[in-house]
Amino acid sequence: MIDFNCIVQERAVEAGRWPALRSRLAKAATDVLGGSPDRVAVDFEVIPHGYGFRGGEISTTSLVRGSIAPGCEQEVRVDLMRRICDTWCEATGCTVDEVVVSVRDRPA
Amino acid sequence: MPYYRCVVPEDALPFEQRQRVAEAFTDVHCGMTGAPRNFVHVTFASNAAGEFAEPYYIDGGNRAGRPAALRARLLGELKRAFRDITGVPDDQLGGRITEGPASWSMEGGHVLPEPGEEGPEWHRHTAPRHASPAPAGQHR
Repeated sequence: MIDFNCIVQERAVEAGRWPALRSRLAKAATDVLGGSPDRVAVDFEVIPHGYGFRGGEISTTSLVRGSIAPGCEQEVRVDLMRRICDTWCEATGCTVDEVVVSVRDRPA
Repeated sequence: MPYYRCVVPEDALPFEQRQRVAEAFTDVHCGMTGAPRNFVHVTFASNAAGEFAEPYYIDGGNRAGRPAALRARLLGELKRAFRDITGVPDDQLGGRITEGPASWSMEGGHVLPEPGEEGPEWHRHTAPRHASPAPAGQHR
C-alpha cells in the first residue's frame, strides 16, 4: 500500500482538482514503484486561510507526504519524489517552490 | 521541512497571535540552525479530537542529524516563544520534535541536504514569500 497525505492551503488548490490529483499521483507512484493504482490512497487536508505560514508569512505551499514500504533504493525514491513534484506542479499550476514532497518508509 | 504544527483548542488563537507565533518560530529555528527563513513551515490545527494530552502542543518535524542537545534547546525556545505570545501556562503546553532523513524530502525541486552539508545554493534559495491580507474579520 502506498499512502499520500496532501496538506494544501485553502485557496491554493481547489477541491475540484482533487480527483485528477488522486489519479495522477497514483499513476506516478505505480509507474516508479510498480503495483496497482488501486493500492494507492490519497487524502487531502486543507489548512484554512490564515492558519498556514511559511517564513512567517501566509503560505501557498502544499506538502505532499508519501508513505511507502521500507527498503526503497534512494535513486528510486528521488525519482518518485521528482515525479510527484512535476505531477503536482502540472496539475495545480503551482511553481516548484510551492510544493514540498517527502517519501518516507512506512513504520514497521 | 522544518514543519511545526501547533495543535490548539478550537478558535483559541486569533490571527494576530498565530502570525506572531509563526514569525517567532521562524526566528528561533533560523537563529539556531542557520536555515533560510522560507524553509520554515508553521500551521495551526484544532485539538478537538484530543490528539494530545495537553490542550496546546507543538508537533515539530525536522531533518535528522542534529545533536540531541540542540534539538532540546530548540524545542525549549519554541515553547518559550509560544508561551510569551499566547500567555498559555507551561503545564498546558506540550511538544516534541521528530526527525526524518533529509534525503527523504524534496523542496524547490531539490533533495534536501543533510544538516551541516548545505552548500551556498541552499542559502540562495529564494522561494516566493506571499504576504496577503489577514482573513476577513480578523486583525493582522
